[in-house]
Amino acid sequence: MILAKLALGFCGTVAVAGAYTFHEGVMRVDEDHYDGRHVHVWVPAAIVPMALHVVPSRRLERAVAHARPWLPALRELTKELKRYPEADFVEVQDGRQHVRIRTHQGKLLIDVTEPGETVHVACPLVMMEDIARELEAKSPAA
Amino acid sequence: MNVPASRLTEKIALTLAASLLAAFALLAPVAAAQAAPASGSSQNVSASSHDRWLHVRVTNPGNSEETVRVNVPLELAEKVLPIINKNRLHSGKVRFDDVDCHGVDLRALVDAVRTSKDGEFVTVQNKDSDIRVAKQNGYLFVHVFEKNRPRKSQVEVKVPIKVVDALFSAGKDELDLVAALHALSSQGDTELVSVKDEENTVRVWIDSKNVTE
Repeated sequence: MILAKLALGFCGTVAVAGAYTFHEGVMRVDEDHYDGRHVHVWVPAAIVPMALHVVPSRRLERAVAHARPWLPALRELTKELKRYPEADFVEVQDGRQHVRIRTHQGKLLIDVTEPGETVHVACPLVMMEDIARELEAKSPAA
Repeated sequence: MNVPASRLTEKIALTLAASLLAAFALLAPVAAAQAAPASGSSQNVSASSHDRWLHVRVTNPGNSEETVRVNVPLELAEKVLPIINKNRLHSGKVRFDDVDCHGVDLRALVDAVRTSKDGEFVTVQNKDSDIRVAKQNGYLFVHVFEKNRPRKSQVEVKVPIKVVDALFSAGKDELDLVAALHALSSQGDTELVSVKDEENTVRVWIDSKNVTE
């Protein structure tokens, strides 16, 4: 009986943790190169801002310093973009090259297609806003 | 009798708890995924009914594979621009100096246009081009028609005077972009710029749709 309770508790914890981890969706980066190289990164969106907490500050300092002037704009932009969950913002077609930036189901999608190379990025807007906040809080002037 | 009954109750409670957890685990991501478009669609309705969109479209009549489409919600631009402080852009305003205007006092020029009555200010017609600058029904019109190759082209610009006023409402040597966007958002569906030449067609317009046709 105790084992059953332990198993139930463990399964319940895993289930709740899983549900929480994926409740903000998944950030995806997919790259396919003509030489056969493929990069596919899938990260639960809720984990990324949490990961920023545990990354040593000295590792982020330089990147944050560079990004700092743009962080408030990024935060405001993502906050506003959430109001437009299904919209096409930029589409450029030049021969066989195609770039598209849009929002779909609360995610910012960036698709770049050119001969021999495709890149697809999907970032939940909630995650982008959280990251902007985290980085602003970590920036030296904050 | 009491012991088996309590065991049974315990088992029922455990089964119920397990079922609830499993249901929660399975349904939460689905519910979250469904909630996003649902709330999104309601926001989208409000966005499409209230928001004004600035559209830019560049097409090449001779090549359907060359197109640029940009759609920007004016409200989004109004909120984001004031936060960007880089080079000449600060607090939604752009600084300019005399060098930019080649010595022309733009503010005085705008004041003169605003206070004048409707009519044509500039008309140039020669063998190479037709140029017309006019004010009519609260709009400033600029029409340039280049007749000769290789520069054969047609440019039409239609700017609401209110937008021009708002643009110059900031301090000296500054253009208030946010005020201009705000003034633009109160306008009806309008085509602002149209450029046609042999290579490209450019259109800039505002409406309430979040997609180009």
